[in-house]
Amino acid sequence: MSKPAMQLVNLKKTIGSKPIIKGLDFEIRAGEVFGFLGPNGAGKTTTIRMMVGLIDITEGDVLIEGKSIKTNFKGAIQHVGAIVENPEMYPFLSGWKNLKQYARMVEGVTDERIKEVVSLVGLEKAIHEKAGRYSLGMRQRLGIAQALLHGPSILILDEPTNGLDPSGIREIRKYIRNLAEKENVAVIVSSHLLTEIELMCDRIGVIKNGELIAIEEVRTVENEEALKEVYIEVEPMETAKTYLDTHLPNAVGVGSKELSMSVKREEIPQILKNLMEQGISIYGVRVLQATLEDKFFDLIGENSIE
Amino acid sequence: MKLIWNEQIKLYAKKGTWVMFALLLVIAIGGGLITKFFGTESDFKEYGDNWQTELQEENAQLTAEMQDEEFGGFMNEMIIAENSYHLENNIKPQPYDGWEYVLENSFLTSVISLFTIIVAAGIISNEFKWGTIKLLLIRPISRTKILLSKYVSVLIFALTLLIFLLLSSWLVGAVLFGLNGLNPMVVQDMMTHYVHNDVLGEIAKSYGFSIVTLVMMATFAFMISAIFRSSGMAIGLAIFLMMAGNTIVAFLSQYEWSKFILFANTNLEQYTNGMEPTIPGMSLTFSIIVLLVYFAIFMGAAWAAFTKRDVAGN
Repeated sequence: MSKPAMQLVNLKKTIGSKPIIKGLDFEIRAGEVFGFLGPNGAGKTTTIRMMVGLIDITEGDVLIEGKSIKTNFKGAIQHVGAIVENPEMYPFLSGWKNLKQYARMVEGVTDERIKEVVSLVGLEKAIHEKAGRYSLGMRQRLGIAQALLHGPSILILDEPTNGLDPSGIREIRKYIRNLAEKENVAVIVSSHLLTEIELMCDRIGVIKNGELIAIEEVRTVENEEALKEVYIEVEPMETAKTYLDTHLPNAVGVGSKELSMSVKREEIPQILKNLMEQGISIYGVRVLQATLEDKFFDLIGENSIE
Repeated sequence: MKLIWNEQIKLYAKKGTWVMFALLLVIAIGGGLITKFFGTESDFKEYGDNWQTELQEENAQLTAEMQDEEFGGFMNEMIIAENSYHLENNIKPQPYDGWEYVLENSFLTSVISLFTIIVAAGIISNEFKWGTIKLLLIRPISRTKILLSKYVSVLIFALTLLIFLLLSSWLVGAVLFGLNGLNPMVVQDMMTHYVHNDVLGEIAKSYGFSIVTLVMMATFAFMISAIFRSSGMAIGLAIFLMMAGNTIVAFLSQYEWSKFILFANTNLEQYTNGMEPTIPGMSLTFSIIVLLVYFAIFMGAAWAAFTKRDVAGN
């Protein structure tokens, strides 16, 4: 693996005497989409604010392309494009003029580049309207455009799909994946929406009460050999029950019309075959996926804010 | 610098800014019309070659009037005194003209101070209000530079207003009253005595001194805006202090330390034209030092608040 695009080294933040972030240690690689997941109040936004130097770091450091945000702010931040919380714009300026504002703050962003970014986020039609009239979705797009202007190697998006309609979410998701895969940008996406994160991220870091409690590769979730909840709708009930009582005593529970059991994925075909051989009709089989959501709640436990 | 350009764009993209310019223009025109149609007759009177005799006759007439009437004596006395000054110093009185109107309008610089305070108070806190401060501070530009660009922007705005006021007053004055040459001499009433100076010098002095108050109050509002991130508080405090400043000084003038109060020193005009300083024992150098110290404190506080503090949630 190449060197990390961003590195958090024992990152801590204390406000007053209260520790908000209690020592984060992880890295984000170039070309990956990293999901930063946690319940509200877990410290996602605080961490992101430290990543971009908006708030002081109490202890530890954030290294961006090897440069410390603390000691080399300019060197570090020039690789970063970000939306922190809501994509706020000057309401009295047009979308184009908003982008021009930010373009003037870095070297070498031409009008052509602005046009390019605008078409990337699909905002050509409304770009000369006042940003104050934009819908949340349009502001979100403008926010992403703003973050991409200077061609950063790290993109930080705080709740990027907030306020977007389903098609907008899909577009943004596709676009984020594209950036990571084709342009090797490291994308950090924070969210409390699990399904969103699951769909677009390669790796997920889960944060709770200021601590990182897990880092997972998204794909591993599905491959796991865990027991699954299987529901089978059968008739006649009695026969099926007797059969299962004798053959699978540990794994059986009975509902009114359905049998439910916890078995491994590979066992399912054999069970169905056996049931049919007994002359039992099967009307349906449901497998409850152990989704990220379950994992998430297993990890988080109760959503308590200390 | 591009940052300052950015700030100016943001400033002029707002309607409020244009309202300020429009108000100044309205005041300049309105003031001119009022002076033109309700001004004292004697101001506009044109004198011929033997103006000395005309003035003497006028004085005699006014004295007679004063004996007849019990009232209105004060006005007459003033005119007699001014006429006598002209006679004694052999200065031919000139009718009221555009230059004098510009000079009179120097009191409008307090309106400019007001507008500048509003802008200075908003230029930082609005970024917080809009949330755009976050996008501003994650650029490869130091916070000090951003702060400085905003401050310079405020000063440029104040200067623009000042030039606008000068030009519009001059135009209105020239159209309504005409001009007595390129740089006529004017006689000014200094309460205790009269002075005679060329008008351009007087205009420069009068507007120049007002810039001191303007800059100090703008810097003050700017500092409050940086510290509290609230434009309301900055505007309120600055305007209150601007209005009440002289009262506060008058109230506390019995104490020795009152000469260190900012407002005792902002009016540098008190050292010119033979006027007495507000509090005995003050000198021009003293005031300038006090002003510089205040200025440094304001800027230092604004800088510390802006660069050191966290930009946390809304």
